[in-house]
Amino acid sequence: MIEIILLVSSVLFIFALKLFGRPSTAHRANTFAMLAMALAVFSAFNFDFSKYDSTFYITIVASGLLGVLISKRVQMTQMPELVGLFNGFGGGASGAIAYVELSGNSLPLSDVFVAIFSMVVGVFTFSGSLVAVMKLRGKLNNFNKKLADIFSVFLPTIILIPAVLEMDDLLIEFIILVALIAGIIRVAVIGGADMPVVIAFLNSLSGIAAMSAGFIVNSIILIVAGALVGASGIILTLLMCAAMNRTLVDVLKGGFGGTDVNNEYDKDPISTSPEDVAIQLSYAESVVIVPGYGMAVAQAQAAVKELTNTLKDKNIEVKFAIHPVAGRMPGHMNVLLAEVDIDYEDMYTLEDINSEFSSTDVVIVLGANDVVNPLARTDEDSPIYGMPILDVDLANQVIVIKRSMSPGYAGIANPLFINDNAKMLFADAKEGLENIIKSFELV
Amino acid sequence: MEATFLLTLLITFLASFIGYELISKIPQTLHTPLMSGSNAISGITLIAAILIYPEVGESQLLKIIVLIAIAFATLNIVGGFSVTGRILEMFKKND
Repeated sequence: MIEIILLVSSVLFIFALKLFGRPSTAHRANTFAMLAMALAVFSAFNFDFSKYDSTFYITIVASGLLGVLISKRVQMTQMPELVGLFNGFGGGASGAIAYVELSGNSLPLSDVFVAIFSMVVGVFTFSGSLVAVMKLRGKLNNFNKKLADIFSVFLPTIILIPAVLEMDDLLIEFIILVALIAGIIRVAVIGGADMPVVIAFLNSLSGIAAMSAGFIVNSIILIVAGALVGASGIILTLLMCAAMNRTLVDVLKGGFGGTDVNNEYDKDPISTSPEDVAIQLSYAESVVIVPGYGMAVAQAQAAVKELTNTLKDKNIEVKFAIHPVAGRMPGHMNVLLAEVDIDYEDMYTLEDINSEFSSTDVVIVLGANDVVNPLARTDEDSPIYGMPILDVDLANQVIVIKRSMSPGYAGIANPLFINDNAKMLFADAKEGLENIIKSFELV
Repeated sequence: MEATFLLTLLITFLASFIGYELISKIPQTLHTPLMSGSNAISGITLIAAILIYPEVGESQLLKIIVLIAIAFATLNIVGGFSVTGRILEMFKKND
């Protein structure tokens, strides 16, 4: 009976992943996954609920309620932090289980290896995710890189310890400590704009930790679900890396950007006013908006929606061009736009929209920088050379809404800002848009 | 024993392969809900905690650690699915 429940659960998990593939079916995917999870958890009790005391049930119910409470309260702009936090919990749980198995039982040597692996990956995911959350909240700045490099060499060797040494409690605790510190330092050296890669990678690791926990407790469903998560996380990780033309190792090494390679502009940008932008937009037939992290920071989604409505009322076509690594997690911008009811049909990927910029009247760059920097196409010495960018400079007119001329994450000047067809509206994303909307009423 | 281990390994590879194939086709718009959904699934490690809880024996410390694992995994599962539902609701309404 249990086997049949587990079979159904595995199939449901796989179907859920398939349904996640289309916006129209994705909400059903979540229901399927929840059902699969409920069946899997139910089966773990093996119809014997009396083996568990009240402390056990209270813990489950209380943490479940807490989970619901947190998830209902969080704002959409905080989604990367929340996913990071939950991710850390998942990894931490796997790490804790591996620890209990290691110190409570005398496992065969092969299981000891798996358990140490699971513990190291789980603990690393836990501490790394918590640091990622702090970085996303802007509470932690860059960190000494050399220390991190030393630790990274150290970590893989740790997993080999049981081959040479008899395991005892002290040794296990030492390994946990190393994994904890390694997670902290590794993520601490990586800059904020690389967080889409980091979050996806940690997500994958939490799946791998769960999968290896499945090997220790002999649970097929745990292995299947863990492997599914591990694989999906790796795909997103690699997609994010490809979108920046960097390797995973390069991202994880950290220390990218922040160096002022070339921060100088040889002429002044043309600055513009909300009134002029409103006039310019009212003469346009096609407008493309390029949102970036600046939109999320300024909470400007509602203003974006309002501007979109204003433009659409004037029969102006509005599209959104979203770079794969815009924001702080994969798909971050899409979620923020969906939050304010912008149709996902209007959100375009880099491949789909790049050919259209040359026939676009006005592009609005909203809090994005490196992903629209033409140096990625032209300057072989630039740190972002070869990164796929949105070719907004090919549009007829470009309006950049940005607070100052300061460089983006890569720490380099963006010649787009001084292009002949570009104008700067120096403002916070939300305030800038609201002023443009106000000016429309006067046009 | 040997055969079961190989079978388990085969299942692992198959599951990873299916996961890889299915996810490769997911559009960028759904990356965030996919991520938070799969994140919730990784809390399935709760099963391992449930399996070992009755077997921890006398040690209070180990019992507390398993309870922590249970709390973490449950938070991960329930919170993860709940927030994924919230995100997907936003995609549904402009269908």
